[in-house]
Amino acid sequence: MNPTDTEVTPWSPTATWVVRGLGMAAAVAVAATVWLGLWVTPPDQAQHNLVRLVYVHPPIAWVALYLAFGVAAASSVLWLWPRTRSRFWDRLAVSAVEVGTVFTALTLITGSIWGRPTWGVWWAWDARLTSTALLLVLLLGYLAVRRVPADPDSRARRSAVVALVAAVDVPIVHFSVDWWHTLHQGATVLNANLSPTIHGSMAWTLLLGFVAFTLLFAWMLAIRYRIEVLSERLLDSELDVALHERWAEGTGPVAGEPGGALASTGRRA
Amino acid sequence: MSYIDAGYAIALGVLAAYGAILWRRRQRLERAAARSGGRRAP
Repeated sequence: MNPTDTEVTPWSPTATWVVRGLGMAAAVAVAATVWLGLWVTPPDQAQHNLVRLVYVHPPIAWVALYLAFGVAAASSVLWLWPRTRSRFWDRLAVSAVEVGTVFTALTLITGSIWGRPTWGVWWAWDARLTSTALLLVLLLGYLAVRRVPADPDSRARRSAVVALVAAVDVPIVHFSVDWWHTLHQGATVLNANLSPTIHGSMAWTLLLGFVAFTLLFAWMLAIRYRIEVLSERLLDSELDVALHERWAEGTGPVAGEPGGALASTGRRA
Repeated sequence: MSYIDAGYAIALGVLAAYGAILWRRRQRLERAAARSGGRRAP
């Protein structure tokens, strides 16, 4: 192994500032969404104060279903395509899936909390809820596949295939409210006519919620990607050092040249 | 605690905890990487 492959370079000043800026912007935008959602926007005619959950549940679902999964699926395709194959896409895919798993779980939890007072049940085997739960299981399956010991290329190939199989569920989740009769309401913003059925301060707060959680996702994705880079290179570095230590143990004082030293002792590696 | 409070508290609490875990994990790995810089194989 080339020793330069194991070097870990720190983040450039530009990358550091971009990530810090993303983190601060996300924190401010989420705080503003919470303030507007809980204290400024009016209650709804039908749902009264329960409508305030609209400022967190759909934005979290947007990140889980469309952003995280979009990044994971696109990265997997780009890894599988020989011309664009690069470790970058594999790292980006696993980072997006891990962050997306947290957002998908929160989509189900916040939806359940909203469902209890409006539908009278915490859970129903409704098309939208069931297809979203299936997505969470598929994401956990992806993360399990990542932990199966394998060389990096095999692991990346398997993971990319699992991500693409799971991606089939995303349009099912999206269109489930149109294809089947469900308890879940239809699309408020991204409906068939592209005509949002929400207006005024509620619409602006919802829009801010989408921006806030998108920024938060971008920040988490950048940090998670960096963790993947550092983990890989540390593992390579430790493996490299351990191999050389083993060679040194077996060859005595002339450990600087493993191949030559082994040959000099008359043993074969 | 109302359903609204519970929804906001769980969503924001989980995201804050996950963000903190990611941040600490990255910092720990950065430190480990800086230490292993001098431990490279010959």
